[in-house]
Amino acid sequence: MVSFDIHDHSNTGTEAIHVNLFSYLVKNDVENGEILPDLATDWELIDDETWEFTLREDATFHNGDSVTAEDVKFTLERVSSDETLQEYENYRQIEEVEVIDDYTFQIHTNGPQPAMLNRISRLGSGILPKDYIEENDWDHFLREPVGSGPYQFVQWAMDDRVVLERFDDYFEADQAQWDEIVFRSIPESSTRVGEVLAGGVDIAMNIPPMDWDRVESNEGTSVVEGPTNRTMMLVPNHREDFATSDILVREAIDLAIDNQALLDNLMGGSGTPSLTRVNPGNFGVNEALHDDYRFDPEEARAKLEEAGYADGLELTLHSPDGRYLQDRETTEVISGMLSEVGIDVNIDFMEWSSFVDLRAANQQEDLYLIGLSGSLWDAAHQLRHHSSMVAEDHIGYRNDEFDDIYLDAEVNMDEASRQQQYEELQTIADEDLINIMLFQADNFFAVSDRVNFEPRLDELWMVDEITITE
Amino acid sequence: MLAPCFLFWIPGVERMKKYLFWRVMQIIPVLLLISMFVFGLLYMAGDPVALMLPEDATQEQVDSLRASLGLDQPFYVQYFHFVGDLLRGDFGYSYRYNQPALPIVLERLPATFELAFSAMFVAIIMAIPLGIASATKRNTFLDIFISGGSVLGKAMPNFWLGIMLILMFAITYPFFPVSGSGSFAHLILPAITLGTASAAEMTRVLRSSMLETLNQDYVRTAVSKGVRNTKVVNLHAFRNALVPFITITFLQTSSLVSGALITEVVFSWPGLGQLLIQAINGRDMAIVQASIFMVAFIVIAMNLFADILYRVLDPRIRYD
Repeated sequence: MVSFDIHDHSNTGTEAIHVNLFSYLVKNDVENGEILPDLATDWELIDDETWEFTLREDATFHNGDSVTAEDVKFTLERVSSDETLQEYENYRQIEEVEVIDDYTFQIHTNGPQPAMLNRISRLGSGILPKDYIEENDWDHFLREPVGSGPYQFVQWAMDDRVVLERFDDYFEADQAQWDEIVFRSIPESSTRVGEVLAGGVDIAMNIPPMDWDRVESNEGTSVVEGPTNRTMMLVPNHREDFATSDILVREAIDLAIDNQALLDNLMGGSGTPSLTRVNPGNFGVNEALHDDYRFDPEEARAKLEEAGYADGLELTLHSPDGRYLQDRETTEVISGMLSEVGIDVNIDFMEWSSFVDLRAANQQEDLYLIGLSGSLWDAAHQLRHHSSMVAEDHIGYRNDEFDDIYLDAEVNMDEASRQQQYEELQTIADEDLINIMLFQADNFFAVSDRVNFEPRLDELWMVDEITITE
Repeated sequence: MLAPCFLFWIPGVERMKKYLFWRVMQIIPVLLLISMFVFGLLYMAGDPVALMLPEDATQEQVDSLRASLGLDQPFYVQYFHFVGDLLRGDFGYSYRYNQPALPIVLERLPATFELAFSAMFVAIIMAIPLGIASATKRNTFLDIFISGGSVLGKAMPNFWLGIMLILMFAITYPFFPVSGSGSFAHLILPAITLGTASAAEMTRVLRSSMLETLNQDYVRTAVSKGVRNTKVVNLHAFRNALVPFITITFLQTSSLVSGALITEVVFSWPGLGQLLIQAINGRDMAIVQASIFMVAFIVIAMNLFADILYRVLDPRIRYD
């Protein structure tokens, strides 16, 4: 938890807490691929660049003010016009919010925005109380935030805890079932596990594999896992100076890696091998490429020979160390698998901030390991990174056919044909092996038997979905 | 420190004032040097923009954020801004928390002080009886046991001891909470974790200074006069052995404040340590600057205080 400024962070863990305090216009039920009403009860596309929404009339902020179209205008125009905010890039597509009456408003976009509803149901879309902020000031709001969600603010001790309590006038108050919720920040994993074992907390996240046995063997606690939107992958350098610019070498690498064996040996069998970084739950997923992988060491050797590396090949693989669950181990096992087919890997383990610098400066050598997610839940987000707008500078990859389809899809308001375009783009990405996909990663939680908890794909803490067992 | 040598004819109090003035004046360039050093290091480590945004942020996002934070400016421009702000007491804005850095750091100080002073208390109540016992029972099994224990106490890394104490006294035998803050019970395990190494150090110092005073003529005179043994130890030897002990106690305060950083992470104690470590990971420069500045200030102040106290307690020490 870094701030209550919903527009000036890009931290899923922070949003995971905000969703209990703030209501959104619409909610994205990513598991069922549906946009659900929240503050907005109805919405309609008036023309390609205009969306009209109707707000529910019984929603109030925690200070008693009604939630009106003016609050929506205040919120969305703040983030769509202030370039200094971290979320600006994700909202600048909104040109204006026009208030029709207290409970009706229109969003005018810069050009057609087919993913508009996904955009306003993600990080930064909680509706802020205009009057409360203007009467006090922004700093006061940051200290004592007011939203219109099921829980209201009680206390925030930075890097220690956030305490929320039930808001009795919430518009669906019957669903709010906890009197008080405490989110604690416990950075050290053994301490985090210790709290669950001792009964100090009911659910702890990011549990490393070395602690799974401790949690499972303890009476009254267990390990629960669930998928995330994060895909682990190798990013090859397509520039001519590097061997990985040859598709045959990329194919050899892909064929040499046993994706399922990585999961079986490092993640207790959890996670899903994949050939695309667009996971189910995202609009545009190509299901045929998910839950699939290629593994054929013989064929990999043949490809290397064909590429002229019959005597072996030496590659450098940069890897973060400690950023992702088992990242170091994943890199080591991959290196072993590649050496089996004749590729010698120089592993370059890096501390995260140096790794980030290396990427930002596009100075990587042959390959790097990374895990990438996508909070928009629309393939537009993930596939942009394969387009020349990003990939050309970063890895030296450019495919005009890919770019044409991508740019067309970005403004295509026809859902069915946009879906088809995204599926095609993922096929191209897979054939060209722009990136070499490994698997969709799971997250692991230590959970007390006191509660029923199922991890959400979007990793948000919707606490009313957690119930007491009895 | 040239000035005081010409001042031998000034009465003692005047000389002490002068000495104090120079010592305090020395703090300013030291602090400036420290913060410049930290600024240089952070600049070389790279800017925080890429770390603030998600892994797959676009170049436009990176560029626009970098420009809005002024990080696209050349080094010397950023440096002059920094020094200018620093002279006005402004450490800049925390990128991570979107607030001025200094108040955030100051807000965390009480928690770190609470932990450090509790650890100091633990260290003192452990060190005094152990140090005296070890010196008076010199070369006995007890002395060897205490001396061995001090070596062990000094050698155990904080984080390891913390995790072991959690395992023993919070999970296996749940006497204390595992982590967090808010009650007296929350303070005990972190205070023991942090205080142990200092207790070991202080025990060793007290032991050797006790041994030294026990061999002094006035102690032997007291013993030969037939003064009771406990009185000799408590009144004659211990009081005189206190001078180095008090000095080491104050010097330990500064290492306790810096040592609290690791202990805080293990116990999720919301002090300066947790803040600093998260700030370093996220390259939140303003917070790193302000935290290090603050820790440096405390260490310098404690050293100065120990120095002055030493001179007050032992009048034999001159100001030149």
